Amino acid sequence: MKSNANKTAEIKLLISRIVVYAILIFLSFLCLFFFYLMLINSTRSNAQLQSGFTLIPQNNLFKNLYNAWHDGDINIPVGMKNSFIVAMCSALLTTYFSAMTAYGTYVYNFKGKRFVHLFILAIMMIPSQVSAVGFIQLAFKYNLTNKLWLLIIPSIAAPATYFYMRQYLQATLPIDMVEAARIDGSSEFKIFNQIVLPIMKPAIAVQMIFSFVASWNNYFMPALLLNKPDKKTVPIMIATLRSADYSKFDMGKVYMLMVMAILPVMIIYIILSKSIIKGVTSGSVKG
Amino acid sequence: MAEVILKNIKKVYPNSEPKEKKGLFGKKKTEEEKPHRTHHLQITDEGVVAVQEFSLDIKDKEFIVLVGPSGCGKSTTLRMVAGLEEISGGELYIDGNLVNSVEPKDRDIAMVFQSYALYPHMTVYDNMAYSLKIKNVPKDQIDKKVREAAEILDISQYLNRKPKALSGGQRQRVAIGRAIVRDPKVLLMDEPLSNLDAKLRNQMRAEIIKLRNRINTTFIYVTHDQTEAMTLGDRIVVMKDGFIQQIGTPQEVFDHPSNLFVAGFIGTPQMNFFDARLALKNGEYYVEIDDISVKLSEEKQKRLREKGVKEQEVTLGVRPEHMNISDKGIEGRIDVTELMGSSCHLHMTIKDKDAIVIVPREGNIENHMGQKIHLDFSGNVAHIFSKEDNHNLEY
Repeated sequence: MKSNANKTAEIKLLISRIVVYAILIFLSFLCLFFFYLMLINSTRSNAQLQSGFTLIPQNNLFKNLYNAWHDGDINIPVGMKNSFIVAMCSALLTTYFSAMTAYGTYVYNFKGKRFVHLFILAIMMIPSQVSAVGFIQLAFKYNLTNKLWLLIIPSIAAPATYFYMRQYLQATLPIDMVEAARIDGSSEFKIFNQIVLPIMKPAIAVQMIFSFVASWNNYFMPALLLNKPDKKTVPIMIATLRSADYSKFDMGKVYMLMVMAILPVMIIYIILSKSIIKGVTSGSVKG
Repeated sequence: MAEVILKNIKKVYPNSEPKEKKGLFGKKKTEEEKPHRTHHLQITDEGVVAVQEFSLDIKDKEFIVLVGPSGCGKSTTLRMVAGLEEISGGELYIDGNLVNSVEPKDRDIAMVFQSYALYPHMTVYDNMAYSLKIKNVPKDQIDKKVREAAEILDISQYLNRKPKALSGGQRQRVAIGRAIVRDPKVLLMDEPLSNLDAKLRNQMRAEIIKLRNRINTTFIYVTHDQTEAMTLGDRIVVMKDGFIQQIGTPQEVFDHPSNLFVAGFIGTPQMNFFDARLALKNGEYYVEIDDISVKLSEEKQKRLREKGVKEQEVTLGVRPEHMNISDKGIEGRIDVTELMGSSCHLHMTIKDKDAIVIVPREGNIENHMGQKIHLDFSGNVAHIFSKEDNHNLEY
């Protein structure tokens, strides 16, 4: 009897595992297939691309790279540099100031604390396109277009990042630790920079990836604010290539630029993912 | 190494949300969530009064233990001494200086938290050295002090580890180490042993006694565990609902509890209470319960006489270890017997109330559950409390 029951349990486990793996494989396929297709397409010429799709790599990789690099309308190194400056500064400043705001509303008690918290969250409900109208008018009125910092500064106010940071602090930062640091003689800034920030490393890593990717891929605001060739970011350059006239149009170049555009994102992800996995706070307090 | 004087200290937590605004953005507090519903703290227009009329002179190098049930204000008092809570009223002096508005870092105190509150990303060494680094103490001195403290606490071998690689007891030692490297004037401890298991707690309690002998400083220790209070303190401050109930040496508090609460709180198992009558016959006080009449000891007679206590219905308190099995006396039924090794605890029902009696193991009462027995006690161990205000009639 017993061995029968055991066998049934084993079969049940096997079936459930097969189902789980099948679902996971399907989802992974959904995620990775189009990625693979993009890589393949970057190895194909425009003519090959017009003729339908294939899963086999072709031999136009270097030609596409050469064409994209030497395209007269775009300057890839400059675009990469612009995108990197904007994305990196946004990611760093967004996470730092969001963490600081979250720390402020979590640790300090002041009048209207709850209102401040809810007000910040309420901003999440306003679509960025709505607030963009006024912002762009302002930028044009004061001749602030074609300035990269104009893309960086507004991104610092990130309610979603703030919310994530606050939830993370609530779960990981015991107030005792802040008080211990105060008694140890630390100033409030030092407490934040030396005690709290290292504890928040995993959250900062996650939010840096998100902010970096969001900023790197951002097309909407740069398209409205940047029109000088030396200020363009990568997404604008991809759009420029796509909208090229018939004589210059080359989808191979577009795919090539897309592949180049995702490389920095992948590198950032690989660097930061290590700190996400690390559970830094375990062992600080009883638990 | 300093005197601490608390003069009429008061702490009021303002009602954070006025009634009419409540619920505008947040959820309304239910009855259970209101702080004053869980404890019997006084509520005034200003808010909930967590501590009041707290006056205490702590001598240099004294070990004071604040003890009481949760919500009694003991931690709040400690946090006010630390500077982590604002003082709503009264004066606090450390080493002769009024420090009511002084920042925690400038009070020259150190604190050990219940949760250890170690910095998780720093090694044990860095945790201990942090406060000295902030003060810009030269590196060689920091090193010397940290290694000395580690030596005292027997954690030298863990200096390069991170807190997560330590056991609970070791982490608490690090937390204590972090506090003592600074040679603080006052060392505050907020239930430092509560997170440890029973065995480790006993061990660490002994360690704290040893530590106390090795470092010259004033200790203020908060606990809800009366055993810790009895074993560690030079003096104990028993608190309830924000008020001091009694201040005294462990022996004083145990032998002469000032009221019913202190009598019940200090001592394990808890003191037994019975309804009884205080009788005055020929100028001598007797306590009458059931068919027995016990003459109080001369010492007690004298104190009652001095206070001119009249005949009255009283609450009689007798500690479990002071009750004896006899032929006549208070009748009770044995519900459960617990063999504790050298003695035996009898859980009984006496006059519809639960009571505990400790008898020597030779008492031969095993397997006597359900049996009715009689108990008596002598006149020097009876504590007589007023029925009106629960105060000990002797004091």
